[in-house]
Amino acid sequence: MYEVLWVLKNPVFPIFSKGLNMPRVVVTGLGLVIANGIGVTNAWNALMNGNDGTAELKSFDSSLYKVHRACEVKDFKIDTVFENETTANTIHKYTYTAAKEALKDSGLNDIAGSNRERFGIAIGTLAGELPPFEYLLRNTPEDKANGFDMGVALTYPPSSITTLLSEDFGFEGPNMVSLNACSSGNHAIAWALDLLHEGKVDVMLVGGGELIPQTEFTHFHNLKALAPERCQPFDKERKGLVIGEGAGIMVLETLESASKRNAEIYAELKGYGMSCDGHHMTAPHPEGAGAIVAMSNALSMANMSYEKVDYINAHGTGTPLNDRMETMAIKSVFKERANEIPVSSIKSMIGHTMGAASAIESVVSCLAIKNNAIPPTIHYETPDPECDLDYVPNEGRETEVNCVINNSFAFGGNNVTNIFSKL
Amino acid sequence: MKKKAVITGIGVVSPLGIGHQDFWNNLVSGNSAIAPMECLDLSKYECKNGAEVKGLNPEEFLGRKGLRYLNNGTKFLGSSAKMAVDDANLEIDEELSNHTGILIGSSLGNFSQTTDYFHDIIREGPSEVSPMKSYDVALNSSINYVSVFFKMKSFARTISSGFTSGTDAIGNAVKLIQNGKAKVIIAGGVEQISLDLYMIFYMQKMLAGNEISMPFDKSRDGFIMSEGSYVFVMEDAEHALSRGARIYGEISGYGSLFSGNRNSDIENRIEKAGNTMKSCIEDAGITTDDIDLINANGNSGKLSDLIEARAIKELFGEKGEEIPVHTIKSTLGESYGASGAAQTASALLSIGNDLVPPTINCDKKDPECNLNIVNEKLEKEVNTVLINSFDLSGNNSCLVVKKV
Repeated sequence: MYEVLWVLKNPVFPIFSKGLNMPRVVVTGLGLVIANGIGVTNAWNALMNGNDGTAELKSFDSSLYKVHRACEVKDFKIDTVFENETTANTIHKYTYTAAKEALKDSGLNDIAGSNRERFGIAIGTLAGELPPFEYLLRNTPEDKANGFDMGVALTYPPSSITTLLSEDFGFEGPNMVSLNACSSGNHAIAWALDLLHEGKVDVMLVGGGELIPQTEFTHFHNLKALAPERCQPFDKERKGLVIGEGAGIMVLETLESASKRNAEIYAELKGYGMSCDGHHMTAPHPEGAGAIVAMSNALSMANMSYEKVDYINAHGTGTPLNDRMETMAIKSVFKERANEIPVSSIKSMIGHTMGAASAIESVVSCLAIKNNAIPPTIHYETPDPECDLDYVPNEGRETEVNCVINNSFAFGGNNVTNIFSKL
Repeated sequence: MKKKAVITGIGVVSPLGIGHQDFWNNLVSGNSAIAPMECLDLSKYECKNGAEVKGLNPEEFLGRKGLRYLNNGTKFLGSSAKMAVDDANLEIDEELSNHTGILIGSSLGNFSQTTDYFHDIIREGPSEVSPMKSYDVALNSSINYVSVFFKMKSFARTISSGFTSGTDAIGNAVKLIQNGKAKVIIAGGVEQISLDLYMIFYMQKMLAGNEISMPFDKSRDGFIMSEGSYVFVMEDAEHALSRGARIYGEISGYGSLFSGNRNSDIENRIEKAGNTMKSCIEDAGITTDDIDLINANGNSGKLSDLIEARAIKELFGEKGEEIPVHTIKSTLGESYGASGAAQTASALLSIGNDLVPPTINCDKKDPECNLNIVNEKLEKEVNTVLINSFDLSGNNSCLVVKKV
């Protein structure tokens, strides 16, 4: 009854967008832990100022490598009670901090009186909890079994990332970890949106978290995908990605639930588009066929024309292949508007945080909408004739931002694009 | 009107057999796949039994090209996916590839090869390790391999939620079919035995010290580690009917809740396990009276079997002691992220054959697990099966499978 009255009083914000059974879904809380800032306010200011989070790599000894730089989280203070020293080195330290911030921000830090079965969690990661294992095995490399102690055993399955958060915050709804390489975070958000649309849950805590395992560093290093000094997305001289770490978490909620609580709303999650290149285990499709489908599907689910988009938060890894492919795909989807829409990659400042990247970028997309501002692509110096869009070079920009799409294109051609807009 | 998600193909790579025929025959005959493990050197450890996949010839399904770069998990998943697609008599042509996705659950994926790779890095030095060693080591690389093998264009998703991974992947696939996001999904679960898998369970003392899987028995002492890949061709019913496909059954309900572990007492976990079954049955639009078989999680875990038995009794009331309950894990072992998919294969074949496989080694039933455990192969009409899948760290997920 209350809902009906509310709709009648507020005809501008219909709760249901597509038919009677499809609730609208909004973002009511954000949390960030990234290389150039901890906490949403610090991180956003750093991003808008173009602060580079790249520094000498400290997670492990890089003397045997040709690259010694990474985007590590700095001056981080652990903010939770851990069971032992090993779990203190897990992704949980970042996801917990970002989740706590997001829940507090949304006003859902105490949910004791709610039906907690309607609160779920979905988090994406690429490498999961490898670093604690690496830490143990590095010191006693003779036998691989030395990499396991009780702490590692408890946190090693990736599912621990969400079960620990559910325990911490008392959530009792669905719970899953998305293992989809660099599009893990957007997959988690897409899955959560479906659950909210279905009406199974009222609130989903979603996002991504990642550390810098030596294994992944070596993997990218030996594929010659790592830039020696800095990440320069879309620049002619771009030399690859800089590996990064951190977490980005957001609270997704039905508009009905948010309105009842009078929660502040950052943006509406309008839809997602998924696709798969089905082309190669590691290389993207050369013409970005899958990327085009992902962006088009997102627009179509959002029931939105390409003309409405006014910022593209790019995947923009800074590798020669990705940035060229992504530019071609954007031109194909946005046609005559491709040159007008600002496209930027925050990976130039916080590195490629792998499984967390698309989640962090979703958080930043919502901040762009809220603040009417677009963070820059830094280290942009030499235009590339093959990448000729407006990449918001080096300076953040204040401009009206109503609708953002956020791209993620992973290894294996696993693509997910999300779309956010002002309510 | 919601679309219906039906299963038209089953692919099985299991310690109980390669292909769903062998798997089913061994399952209903009560033949156990549990034996001393050969692929790991366990001389230093106490629990030595496991259920390993044997006799798989991946070349038969995947061809020879690139096979030497693939790890076990990828061979399992690729072979079972090919079996399922062939079983469904499905041709994924250019047009259909745009509407075909893959959704797989795995707790660890190819994680053990990722850590092998790290072991090589620190022993040999990073520049000495061949890049091809990292070709197939990501958690989701086996799923990527299958998406490329079939040139799927719709989407590729990997879900990890511990013991419920396979169940959650199938449940998620059902929802994507129901809401029209895909016409065909290759869905299921994969898990491979590795030192990593062994160590995490061994450290937590979850493995059976008595080396035997005896679900719901008084002397049960933990589970036996297993592996395998169980993959289904799931289709929108309209699509399946329009091409005249044989239909094994419909997956009509899915429910998933978290019961906690650290901060949760047994009574709360029982309540949540029951609520999960209830929400799944409601999702299927039926009631507990419609369920005529329970394919239990029952993995011989001391606490988890007790929680499950009490949750069933509390939810089903009087009927709780009558309704037939069986678990495939007495002969198959606990295949972790793949187990929910293995149970789904069993449930679909139960429906197709009106037959319930026996639960062996439950000779002295725990009085606290007072269920109607099917000890001998049972011929009975099976129309609607409830599948339970519970994780010790708190994830609970269920599916309802029904005859079409």
